[in-house]
Amino acid sequence: MGIATLAAVSGNVDILGYGLAALGPAIAMGLMTAKALESTARQPEVAGQLRTLMLLGIAFVEVLALLAFVLCFVK
Amino acid sequence: MLTQAASGIDLFLPETYDIVWSLVILAILIFFFAKFFMPKMNKVLDERAQRIQGRMDQAEQVQKEAEELKSEYEQRLANAKSEASHIREDARAEASHIREDARSKADSAAKQITANAQKAVEAQKLQAMNALRDELGQMATELASKIVAQHLENDQAQSDMIDSLLDSMEKDQDSAQTSTNSTNNQ
Amino acid sequence: MVSFVGLTTASGLMHLASAKQPDYPTIEDFLPKPALFAGTPFAINRIILIRIILTVVILVVLGLTASHAKLIPSRWQSVVEYGLDFVRESIVYDVIGKERGKRYVSTITTIFFSIFIFNLGAVIPFANMAATATICAPLVFALWSVYNYWAAGIRAHGLGGFLREELFPAGIPWPIYILLAPINLIEITLIRPFSLTVRLFANMLSGHLLVGMCLAATQFFFIETNTKIFAPFGVLTLAGGMFMTCFEIFVAGLQAYIFSILTASYISMSLGEEEEEEDKKVSQAAQPAAQLAAVSA
Repeated sequence: MGIATLAAVSGNVDILGYGLAALGPAIAMGLMTAKALESTARQPEVAGQLRTLMLLGIAFVEVLALLAFVLCFVK
Repeated sequence: MLTQAASGIDLFLPETYDIVWSLVILAILIFFFAKFFMPKMNKVLDERAQRIQGRMDQAEQVQKEAEELKSEYEQRLANAKSEASHIREDARAEASHIREDARSKADSAAKQITANAQKAVEAQKLQAMNALRDELGQMATELASKIVAQHLENDQAQSDMIDSLLDSMEKDQDSAQTSTNSTNNQ
Repeated sequence: MVSFVGLTTASGLMHLASAKQPDYPTIEDFLPKPALFAGTPFAINRIILIRIILTVVILVVLGLTASHAKLIPSRWQSVVEYGLDFVRESIVYDVIGKERGKRYVSTITTIFFSIFIFNLGAVIPFANMAATATICAPLVFALWSVYNYWAAGIRAHGLGGFLREELFPAGIPWPIYILLAPINLIEITLIRPFSLTVRLFANMLSGHLLVGMCLAATQFFFIETNTKIFAPFGVLTLAGGMFMTCFEIFVAGLQAYIFSILTASYISMSLGEEEEEEDKKVSQAAQPAAQLAAVSA
């Protein structure tokens, strides 16, 4: 029973690692979105540009989470 | 639930046949969109935009024409108004002219009638005077002959006396005539 | 989200209650064995079959729409035109600019429509799998995007000019270039296609796993367990499955949009910003002035 439980836990360590790795990008994306929204509220006339820039930045940051996602499948 | 430990990374390792099919499908899609779908849809959209533009141009032209027509009508109306006022002026002038004419004509006619009437009155007065004189002479002769018949047997003396009598009467008549004429003229 | 709590607690309970497990989806779903022409380069498995069928659907439906397109649109034509208009106005013209963006409208439209329809495979009954749910489909779309922004950059500046612009951006002290140039090179050759590919693939993968997990648990709670004690959990997981399905539809559109807008941004960055910048400055300067005039009036 003890070994079986340990085995079950070890199967999930990758997922745990992915969860940890996703924390940083999650915070970064939240900050970016919040700032983009603030800026849009201040200057609605450049909303299109801001949205594009925000998506570009998020794409940069998301690479980290995506790397973790891939690595979580690599054995 | 990773039943096979080695299979996780397989998700990210492309298979040859998968790449082949993906490429074929992507090529078909790119070709379809670039050569068929987009040109056709763009043609329809452009045509619609052109049609709408044409309609708008047409509407604008119609409006312009209507405005031109309106200004023309207004011009005409103004012309007609001024013409009417002209005509009215003319008519008024003519009317006053006619009135003047008529008045002067009537005046002259009235004068004419008055003059005629005066003339007729004069003539009748003259006639009446002559007739009166003749009758008066006859009556006087008869009266005188009756009175004087006994005194004046011969004709000579008789006619001399009558003549002198008549002369004196005529003198009286003349003086009376002049006095009446002067009063008439005033 | 409540359903997840339900799901996890229920699985815990269930482990205690019986040895049986719900038939959860596995990543095996994304590695189907070839069914036709196995062993040749033209082998077809389940996902490729879905992809081919959806391609045929796109060709037939959009082909019919285009060939029957009229000046006065039918309802369906209006829907398609709305999609085209959305891609043209809010993705291409907004990001690249109207003059420069014209030649890329077709490319971006291809990417948006194809990826959207492929993603919708995840919620189509009996397919239940996005056509973009193997790594190859997002990969070839990402490579097509890479080809486009390289071609755009080379057409605008020449190969040397494009690389100089990308690797050595102006206005940075030269020692930084030692770090920046390799990073930028990796960025335009590897990271961009990698992130485009994996983002789309991971979204499809996780979406399928979530929907499948909810529905498998529902099946287990309602039918496979002997006791009826777990039926309320089944209701929760069914609701979760429905929510996840709706979320999948949303994600399908969102991922297609992000893929398209990132491709458009990359093309725009390759083209450089000179003429575009002035246009935008003018329009920005004009707007507050107009507002000011309106206020003062």
